[in-house]
Amino acid sequence: MGRVPAMACAVVAANLQAVLGLPTDVVATQAPPPEAHLRARGQHDAAPILTALRGEALPPRVRVGVTALDLCLPILTFVYGEALVGGRVAVVSTARLGPRLGQSPAGSPENPGRLLERLAKVALHETAHALGLGHCRADGCLMVFSAGLDVLDSLGLVFCPACERQLVAGRQSLSYPSR
Amino acid sequence: MSDLPRVLVIDDEEAMRESLAAWLRKEGYRVSVAPDGANGLAQMGEGSFELLLVDVKMPGIDGLTVLERALAAKPDLPVVMITAYGSIESAVAAMKMGARDYLLKPFDPEQMLLVIEKIVRQEELVRENEALRERIRQSAREGMGDLVAGSEVMIDVLELIRDVASTDSAVLLTGETGTGKELAARAIHSLSPRAYGPFVVINCGALSETLLESALFGHERGAFTGAVAAQRGRLEMADGGTLFLDEVGEIPTKMQMDLLRVLEDQQFTRVGGTKPLRSDFRLVCATHRDLPARVKSGEFRADFFYRINVLEVRLPPLRDREGDVELLAEYFVEQIALKLAKPITGFTPGAVRLLRGYAWPGNVRELRNVLERAVVISRSDRISERELTFLAPEDPVESLPLTLREAEIRHIQRALDAEGWNITHAARVLDVDRVTLSRKIKRYGLSRET
Repeated sequence: MGRVPAMACAVVAANLQAVLGLPTDVVATQAPPPEAHLRARGQHDAAPILTALRGEALPPRVRVGVTALDLCLPILTFVYGEALVGGRVAVVSTARLGPRLGQSPAGSPENPGRLLERLAKVALHETAHALGLGHCRADGCLMVFSAGLDVLDSLGLVFCPACERQLVAGRQSLSYPSR
Repeated sequence: MSDLPRVLVIDDEEAMRESLAAWLRKEGYRVSVAPDGANGLAQMGEGSFELLLVDVKMPGIDGLTVLERALAAKPDLPVVMITAYGSIESAVAAMKMGARDYLLKPFDPEQMLLVIEKIVRQEELVRENEALRERIRQSAREGMGDLVAGSEVMIDVLELIRDVASTDSAVLLTGETGTGKELAARAIHSLSPRAYGPFVVINCGALSETLLESALFGHERGAFTGAVAAQRGRLEMADGGTLFLDEVGEIPTKMQMDLLRVLEDQQFTRVGGTKPLRSDFRLVCATHRDLPARVKSGEFRADFFYRINVLEVRLPPLRDREGDVELLAEYFVEQIALKLAKPITGFTPGAVRLLRGYAWPGNVRELRNVLERAVVISRSDRISERELTFLAPEDPVESLPLTLREAEIRHIQRALDAEGWNITHAARVLDVDRVTLSRKIKRYGLSRET
């Protein structure tokens, strides 16, 4: 949504397929709805973006928006991503995951690989929400709430067994083939 | 995550309310929302919530009012205030009123997580602690009768009572007046192998030397003027059981010698008698006196002291029993309310504060008396500050040494002021009859303007 490097969408799609077993297509760019822009905060409210992604009815497949816009919720200063739990829509942002892709300052300690890895984790987390999962407290599970990048970086690209079972149930509600 | 608290979010801004509720639901909390203070209070009245998140600034009933009413109904309810940058002073005021924390909106995600998790963890610890304490109390209480305890220091005493009870050694119970020495003696008896035998009590401080001698040893017919029939003494009555000598420090020195002989020879005669009698009893004594000091000064026999002090159990003063004031207060009020058929269910937070803050020089006995008065004069289903006005701390300027007369005048004046100069009510609170109080008012020249 908005101007996002193709690499970012490709990484998200690849991880949704590899980790969640969800056949994924990257579709055309879509502009964020104007009502999402919070001028006073210089950010975009994730809620109207999710509403726009969802449309009138429950989508048959999960829709994940990828954006470089700085996302927030009215109650939170920022979010890395957001989803409607069980609503099959999610949105993720690169804005707070590191230096801008393609614009890394020379000599920056951050590398694009790290940003893309974080983006993949956020996308998997939010997509799992979209399939009906809540937050988890099991050590290392991707469904742990990441309040900061240090927590996000400590997670692997794995879900705990309990969340895996819920993902199976969530996938079965879609028309995707099971793993 | 079904053991996570049930949360109520009260905020007049829909976007804030719903996004906070959505985040909390993701975390596994069961969340209800309210668009204003009135709706929030109504929901609290109908349901049970374990965590409240309340916006400070709301039209109508504002966040501070919600906080006040919520804590009045449930003093331990965790409440987190939500505030915007411009109303930090309100949030600080809320903390002083008892809110657990405040969050500045919009929240930093890490900050919000920390605040909520900290409160959830605190509540878990409180529940675990209470469950553990209850198990310990249950275990310690078995066989303890009315000895109610939750504080560490008193639980230790109950454990010691359990240990000494199983022996047949003489026990000396020490402690200030009103600390429960007789209850402890009964507990020792009921936990001992002699539990099915008699428990015989004698208050050595209440009787003159002659009467004490007769009460202990018994007398034969004609032993003294008025002895028209033979009478068994407490030493005989305690055969097979426990003899409890309360206020043993008041026994005259000569009688200490006689008792010592009984304890050593295990035989005695009645007053005026010649026939030797035997009695097999376990001796428990109690005193509020400093017996070692009295031994030093010669007022108490050393050999008798060592004979009765094989095992010592010290009952701590109520002020040292952290948390027991509330426990005992609930226990007594329940008993007394049942006896007087009054529908009293507990205490207001202000009453609890007064109970906790008072020094209780008369210990448990004083607490029970105060509560009995409070139940009698209470006009609602909870004991409030109104029934406990005597416990309020005095103005420090006034706490200079007073004569007995000055102390009495002040005490009566306070009671009359608290009861709106209703002499009948004030007399009941002061535990005197109306005529006596009227006389004192006249004698001291008391009036509303004094």
